[in-house]
Amino acid sequence: MWYHKPAINEELLQSLPNLKVVASSGVGIDHLDVKLLSSYGVKVANTPFVVSTDTADMGMALLLASSRRIVEGHQMAVSPDAEYFPADWLGVEVSGATLGIVGMGTIGYKVAERAKAFEMKILYHNRSQRKKEEENAVGAVYCKKIDDLLQQSDFVLLAVNLTPQTHKLIGKRELELMKPTATLINISRGLVVDQDALVEALQNKVIKAAALDVTYPEPLPRDHPLLKLKNVIITPHIGSATTKTRWVMMEEMAESIEAGLAGLPVPREVL
Amino acid sequence: VGKKVQAIYLWWHKPVIDRELLQSLPNLKVIANSGVGMDHLDLRLIASSGVKMANAPHAVSSATADAGMALLLASARRLVEVHHIAISPSMEYCEADILGVRVAGATLGIIGMGSIGYKIALRAKAFEMNILYHNRTRRKVQEEQVVGATYCKKIDSLLQQADFVMLVVSLTPQTHNLIGKRELELMKPTATLINISRGAVVDQEALVAALQTGVIRAAALDVTSPEPLPRLDHPLLKLKNVIITPHLGIKTDKACYMITKEAVENILAALSGLPLPNEVLPS
Repeated sequence: MWYHKPAINEELLQSLPNLKVVASSGVGIDHLDVKLLSSYGVKVANTPFVVSTDTADMGMALLLASSRRIVEGHQMAVSPDAEYFPADWLGVEVSGATLGIVGMGTIGYKVAERAKAFEMKILYHNRSQRKKEEENAVGAVYCKKIDDLLQQSDFVLLAVNLTPQTHKLIGKRELELMKPTATLINISRGLVVDQDALVEALQNKVIKAAALDVTYPEPLPRDHPLLKLKNVIITPHIGSATTKTRWVMMEEMAESIEAGLAGLPVPREVL
Repeated sequence: VGKKVQAIYLWWHKPVIDRELLQSLPNLKVIANSGVGMDHLDLRLIASSGVKMANAPHAVSSATADAGMALLLASARRLVEVHHIAISPSMEYCEADILGVRVAGATLGIIGMGSIGYKIALRAKAFEMNILYHNRTRRKVQEEQVVGATYCKKIDSLLQQADFVMLVVSLTPQTHNLIGKRELELMKPTATLINISRGAVVDQEALVAALQTGVIRAAALDVTSPEPLPRLDHPLLKLKNVIITPHLGIKTDKACYMITKEAVENILAALSGLPLPNEVLPS
């Protein structure tokens, strides 16, 4: 299963009486009704760990591209009208800035490891606090309340999975708690953010900018305001899109399928 | 008016410091440059006029290293290309057009391991990259160990092994056209060249040919010759596998503030007859 297609519902399951296993690409399983599949005796597997490094890299790529205005800069540098580069065209310094990571799982932690090398101060919010040694290794400070993280961060990076609890985690209230100079980076799922509230916040300069690898839906309809905002970078859900990682994902999915068909324990089974 | 001028704070190479200007400013004591590169200045000429020179080496290093990493990641993950795909009126795209290159485990070759080059190594290590470097002199063993960097005495060795080649040298007669046809051909066809030093460090025509014929995979350039490139059909402006940025290496709020602070410190020192914190002498 790639990119959530086909949609798995009762109708499909009834039409496939011999279906034994669904192998889903990537780590997110918010698009699958695992209970429903289980009730039909179908096993589910994903590819959880191989995507972590590339997705963390993507988070940092978006953070850097947004802060240093790489996309805008490229447009300026190649535009037919450029005669000179304006002296007062500036970006925001990343080194020494504060990064707030919402969701400190495998991916969130890898982002922290990278951000530390940029001398960033790291705050994080998570369902549970990480071990002291893990916190110390990246210099991360736990924020039990998300509000504390939002108020202090120059960059807010979302690395949670999508659950009923994280649905619209970042809405009007959360955006207003953020600094007006802050940037929101989303590498989790579009639905973690109240997208209409985000558009308004960007238009009214409640926050400075956003960089989104995920939206709802994907892709956005072509007349969507997010596509037109100058302070927004959008990428087409490419967190795990490197040749090497896609290769391994394919191998892992094939392995899970073979095991499922042979009646053996399924590697990376989702329960 | 010329007699009143005692100091010049040079921003983006203006004004041009030539014999004529120096003669018209008899009381000029110091020129403070906004940034670290001094290749646009005739150091001997200025020194012979009795004028001191200073740059701003500390203010620029983090911002420039950050920009180098930003370009490396943007190129590896095709950020500019895919952003345009994401916002384009057509929703059709080919999977092959959005797959990028994995950075973790890849080899970064840093050419020029001064303050900026070393900060890049610190950042790249966190991305689990293997680091090779080429420099006029070898760094201390402890410094190498902190970032896990391996010294390549010969630049060829670095070019042959690197997946990403990052240029972080200052422009001197020795580094002019350092990367030419020969060097590009030594690089892997899957490799990316990132330039945050000066346009003239690269033989630009050779680079265009290499990018057009697949001799290397891609390039990301914060600097070109000239800046900006001439608009009339310059090939670099059209290549899909090239990201060009408008010399933004130091252009952050914080760096500009710190550059100005360093410049002012140097100017005040010169006007008080004290030693300059960051004096630059002709070599």
